[in-house]
Amino acid sequence: MNKERFRSQKAEKVLERMGQKLNRQMVGSMVACVHCGMCTECCHYVLANPGDPTYAPAYKADKIRKLFKRHFDWTGRVFPWWVKAGSVFTDEELEELKDTVFGKCTNCRRCSINCPMGVDFATFNRMARGLLVSVGIMPEGVAVVSKDQWEIGNQMGVLKEEYVETLEWMAEELQDELDDPAIEIPIDRPNCDVVYSINPREVKYDPRSISDAAKIFHFAGESWTMPSECWDMTNFGLFSGDDALGGSVARRLYEKVEELGGKRLVISECGHGYRSTRCEGPNWAQFNVPFAMESSVETMIRYIKQGRIKVDKTRNSIPVTFHDSCNNARSCGLFEEPRELLNLVVSDFREMYPNRAENYCCTGGGGAMSMSEYTPRRLKSAVIKANQLKETGAKVVVTSCHNCVDGLSDVIRHYKLGMEVTQLVNLVANALVMEEKAAAVTEKVAVPAEAVAVGAAVMDTPPAEAAIPAKEVPVTTSDGEPEGLPLAGLKLVVADDEPDQLEYLATVFEDHGAEVVRATTGDEALAAVRGEKPDVLTLDLEMPGRDVGDVFETLRKDPEFASLAICIITGRPELRKLIYDRSVRVPEGYLDKPVTPDALVRTIRKVIELRHDA
Amino acid sequence: MAVVYTTRIIWLLRFKAGGERQAPTGSSDTTPGKGILYSWANIAMPWAMESTRKNPFMYVQFVIFHLGVVAAIAVSFMIPYAPTALDGVVLVTCLQVVIGAAFVVGVVRLIRRVVSPYMRKISSPDDYFSLALLTVWFFSAVLAVPNQTTGGEAHLLAFFILTAFFLVYVPFSKISHYLYYPFTRYYFGKTMGYRGVYPVHRA
Repeated sequence: MNKERFRSQKAEKVLERMGQKLNRQMVGSMVACVHCGMCTECCHYVLANPGDPTYAPAYKADKIRKLFKRHFDWTGRVFPWWVKAGSVFTDEELEELKDTVFGKCTNCRRCSINCPMGVDFATFNRMARGLLVSVGIMPEGVAVVSKDQWEIGNQMGVLKEEYVETLEWMAEELQDELDDPAIEIPIDRPNCDVVYSINPREVKYDPRSISDAAKIFHFAGESWTMPSECWDMTNFGLFSGDDALGGSVARRLYEKVEELGGKRLVISECGHGYRSTRCEGPNWAQFNVPFAMESSVETMIRYIKQGRIKVDKTRNSIPVTFHDSCNNARSCGLFEEPRELLNLVVSDFREMYPNRAENYCCTGGGGAMSMSEYTPRRLKSAVIKANQLKETGAKVVVTSCHNCVDGLSDVIRHYKLGMEVTQLVNLVANALVMEEKAAAVTEKVAVPAEAVAVGAAVMDTPPAEAAIPAKEVPVTTSDGEPEGLPLAGLKLVVADDEPDQLEYLATVFEDHGAEVVRATTGDEALAAVRGEKPDVLTLDLEMPGRDVGDVFETLRKDPEFASLAICIITGRPELRKLIYDRSVRVPEGYLDKPVTPDALVRTIRKVIELRHDA
Repeated sequence: MAVVYTTRIIWLLRFKAGGERQAPTGSSDTTPGKGILYSWANIAMPWAMESTRKNPFMYVQFVIFHLGVVAAIAVSFMIPYAPTALDGVVLVTCLQVVIGAAFVVGVVRLIRRVVSPYMRKISSPDDYFSLALLTVWFFSAVLAVPNQTTGGEAHLLAFFILTAFFLVYVPFSKISHYLYYPFTRYYFGKTMGYRGVYPVHRA
């Protein structure tokens, strides 16, 4: 009996793409497992959930392996029941797979280093995540964060103004704290020895880590800068398994460093950021990075060893322990350097056991912090980490990873451990001996028109606004448009094939002072732009006629429309790759339907600010 | 068997190997080469992995079981091609002890696979059958080692029939894992060596 079940389109795609993603290492890991069960007790999920075999790494791996066996390995094709090969047919089955690959594994790789056969489960678990993401099946948090990183350029949706203002603020704080107006946080300064990239979490929740790093660079006399754009060294592609996102994010940063002429990219303390930028990024992006890259931990050690900064470890006398980030320790070998630095800046360091490559995950890894639906599961599994922390007797846990800071904070709060979490940059800054400060770099350097030095007394260029190569958003006009309306003076082409949507969008824009030209197909949109030469084009992703992706690319490649701002407004976010996968400049804005009038107006103003003038 | 193995290797090599473009990370005294050697040698270093370090009994089982396989394979060659080698009581006793111990381990492992909910959950019919087959084969090998026919030839026939069956079945089963071991360990060790993780540092 050869009755093939109906298979959903998503399931078809997953299987088809699996074949494209398999490499020799993955295939080896798929076929080599002997189900010996040695990995079972290495997983914190298993240890925290005794009696539940569904958390066993081999069991989770088999959820993916069965697909491989059924579709790519001939033994599973011929005798599927004998080797437990199986397929997926429905979206519900894909949802179940999602629960396993996202909700029961943090890709910490602890089982991988404990497998006698060398099966690297974490690698093909990530592949399975990527397959699901490619068909739109993922935890909501993963979708949101990925979207922000695709469209805004960083995973927390930090806007350029917010970023620059935070750097300005931190520079001013430093100037006040040290009573030194020469302290600066340079932005886009060319040809520096160090380009410093950070995690958007630092801008949002932990700006002190930026000012601490700035203080260290200042006292080390470093020639350094931060990029005004493409500054996010984190990469959600590592967690989502989306290699395209991973490559795109990494490439943006590498190209920015190249553009600035930076000699070395320093990556602030972040496990997945370090792994993505330093190790995986060049592979995802197929980019041969021409400059050096290092963790800020290595930078700080070098400064101390070279005598560029002096530290006094007695200033950090509280007992501290160190948590190794999985990505740093188990995937990048960065475990001795943090200890070396800790021993230089703290007087009471207590090792945690197990440690280094054998440490347990903070339980917030693999993007788990952004998957709120799995929080109870995560916190339950965190009992292993909580016990580990408690046994050290330390008051402070130090980690070189922002994700771990959040993960550990949750563990400490949930299990009432009464500990604090901090990072090495904070401890080094606290241990700095100011009297011995190195001479800061004060010579002026050639600064491009758009370069900004936040809080710099010596810079020639004006701050903040100069960084935005934008046309001012007109709020008043000379031709009689209502004064004060936020979109007054702007001409928009609004393209949407749904009459209600089109009318809604057009009305909102018109009510706020814009002149609107309507289009209902891709061809009409193209013709309208060519005929009307608007300031902004809003594009629905799914319209009849000419493919919207082609319309977008055609306009992007036409020098006449180089300054045209384009905003995607869609109810089908899964189609955004039609736009973002193209090798042209990304749209200035993106909105998911339904969208409020406020968001519409705010976004249009923003895209006007961001557009590239011809 | 050789044809199937060759086919499997060619099949595996048809998949492109992932590479590393980035500069190496971690300690400068670790290299891909050292990582590969360390990875391959893991099998002989029970202290290297937490999973074997914390389960010495499992590791001992692993050693005995695989020594039993080697001994039984050797017997399958010695009986037809060098029967006089089995004239010595010491060698025969040694082989019987090793293979007998492997048989006991096989039984223990079979029980573990049936009793443990974790093992049951991950086991396929092939896992049970392969283990049972090997265990029975060990038993027949223990009887066959003296190469005596005074009590009849049934035990020798059983041993060689099972051995012949293995030739056919092994390439299709999990027993062929040794074919993949060098590859998985090579690539994992290469990556981990390049990234400074292997050899694992502990303190």
